Amino acid sequence: MINLVLLFPLVACLIIYIFKKDFLNTCMLNLYAILHLIVSIFAILGKDFLPAWQSCSFFAINQRNVLFLAIMSVVFLAVAIYNSGYLKGESETSQKLRHYTYMSLFFVLSMTGAILSTNLGVSWVFIEGTTLASAYLIYFHKTKHSIEAAWKYVFICSIGIALAFVGIILLTFATGSLNSLYFEDLYSNAKLFDPFWLKLSFVFILFGIGTKMGLAPVHFWLPDAHAEAPSPISALLSATLLNSAFLMILNVFGIMINANCDTYARIMMLAMGFLSLFITAVFVYHINNYKRMLAYSSIENMGILIIGLALGGVATIASIIHLIGHSLIKASFFLTSGNILKIYSTRKIKSVSGLLCIDNKTAWLWIASLIGIVALPPSILFISEFMIIKEIIIQNKLILAILFFFLLTIVLYGLAKAIIRMSFSTSLDIKESELREVAKKIEWPMFMPQIVMLLFAFILGVYMPEWLTILIKNTVLGF
Amino acid sequence: MENIFIILLGLSMIYISSTSRLSAHVNMLVAQGWLLFWICLAGFAKEPWFNFAIFANKEAFILNSTHVLGLLFVIFETLVIKAYIIPWFLKKVIKKTHAHRDTDANIPHFYCLVISSFILFAGFLVANIAIPEFKNINPMYFGTSLAIIIISLWLITIKHKVLSNVIGFITMENGIFLLSLAVAKEMPVIVNLGVLLDLFIAVFILGMLIREIDHEFHDLEVSHLSDLKDYEYND
Repeated sequence: MINLVLLFPLVACLIIYIFKKDFLNTCMLNLYAILHLIVSIFAILGKDFLPAWQSCSFFAINQRNVLFLAIMSVVFLAVAIYNSGYLKGESETSQKLRHYTYMSLFFVLSMTGAILSTNLGVSWVFIEGTTLASAYLIYFHKTKHSIEAAWKYVFICSIGIALAFVGIILLTFATGSLNSLYFEDLYSNAKLFDPFWLKLSFVFILFGIGTKMGLAPVHFWLPDAHAEAPSPISALLSATLLNSAFLMILNVFGIMINANCDTYARIMMLAMGFLSLFITAVFVYHINNYKRMLAYSSIENMGILIIGLALGGVATIASIIHLIGHSLIKASFFLTSGNILKIYSTRKIKSVSGLLCIDNKTAWLWIASLIGIVALPPSILFISEFMIIKEIIIQNKLILAILFFFLLTIVLYGLAKAIIRMSFSTSLDIKESELREVAKKIEWPMFMPQIVMLLFAFILGVYMPEWLTILIKNTVLGF
Repeated sequence: MENIFIILLGLSMIYISSTSRLSAHVNMLVAQGWLLFWICLAGFAKEPWFNFAIFANKEAFILNSTHVLGLLFVIFETLVIKAYIIPWFLKKVIKKTHAHRDTDANIPHFYCLVISSFILFAGFLVANIAIPEFKNINPMYFGTSLAIIIISLWLITIKHKVLSNVIGFITMENGIFLLSLAVAKEMPVIVNLGVLLDLFIAVFILGMLIREIDHEFHDLEVSHLSDLKDYEYND
């Protein structure tokens, strides 16, 4: 089953390469998305529909990663459906569209590999693979700005991840006589590790993989890359790539807990988390570009995830709930931003006005995504943020609770100001009828995925099924 | 024996920091590839299985096939990739883009020389600290690789051409490679292969992007790549 999901993209690329037909691009991407979802559903059920075909020991589906795989499948399917509508309007050559499909398939493949790997070294390789596969996707439009974004992305992430590799080498110093990088071995032998090297290695891994996850102060690639990439790719970057980096930090943090060095790790993660919130609060208020604004919101949410993990207790569960909600809502947010970009052909907030008059479906999706992301009830993020604040207060860190609340409020104000202005202002554009014509051309695949994901996010905020609760608890078992 | 090579590796960083010709930097990358190969070979020479007899004796060869595979992999990694293919590719990029010098770094070359010498010196000092945590680690490797990584990162921040940044990135990877040799443990081959593949593709993609940057901006100055901002942003 795992082999199927890891080998299918390669076969799909080969088929596209041989037949060179345009319809194969969307067809293969959608097929892979459906296959991915089927595999995830079977993984959640704990069954394997291809038991005879076992994968090597480097990959496995376990309690820790199954939820990440499922979230990825849902988001990927949504993006693939949206993508089939999105690519129709692109006036690119068929060769370029083929390259786009190859790279999208490789991108998803490397994220899946990173999520499923049971070995620290292998997950490092796949995390670096995600950088390389998505570089072309960010550079897809071939403008000056997209070159700049792609360059910064590859360069900053590669250096960050190289530093994470230094961390892995330092971890091998710590392991003493143990010569294995399997998480299982690392967890069971963690008590024997040398704390000096272990702590040092955690610093490097947190900063290195934190670069990929978009944590401040090493987040600089993130706004540029998210803003310049095509919208489906921005959605994948924000809703799945950052999660796979988070999973790796989660796994390494597990070693720290088993080795009783977690107090030190928690302080570092807490500092990075609050810094991410602070950076977003400072920048989001004046931003001129709505896709950049969403990217900053991703930095904020990654900050919340890491704060939840750092606090421990019920906040760890909250952080996984937050991860689910953020993936669903932010993906729909970015996809909707793709619609707006199609209608107005600009990323400037000031140039977009009267969205409700011009295309009310896009406008309501835009507003609903805002309600979701700023954690107004019934959004699922309300529950997670509420649980995190509760945990901070339980731990008697009142100042942190106030700071958390204050920074989130600033971010809420910054986001809401821009989005309400874009949606509810009267349209000043003289080309209103032209814009309406463009808006009419947007087809249902560019609305449906967002509607479904937002529905999920709001329903989960009111009712969380039993099996999902168990999955969430199992993900952070032992934290 | 290997200490000489390690010291030469450290000195090559000082040379890179004090010259502005990009082709000289690339030549130093070739030299670093060779030095890393000799360092690895010196490590292998200490192993009991390492002698030429295993190539003559079939049984011994089969018995030590994993070691031989490791040796072949190291030759491939250091000589083929690090000392041949990557420098060849970078030279091609230099030829295409006509970027031969990185003249105006933020700091004059003389100061670069002094600062990187100090960093290297500090690395050697670290190597000589006898703290109990160093028990399994070869301090010479550790100190020098630390110095190489820090000098590379520092060079990336002060250089003005994107090509010099890529060269800094590769020297940093060489430093990390040296660090991984500091402890007598082998990573699984698949991890090593993956690391090598990632490095290779990263350099390849960066090289392609350099050509695009040259095509779009007619120059390889890093300062061109600072248009994306949060305020006063022109779409």
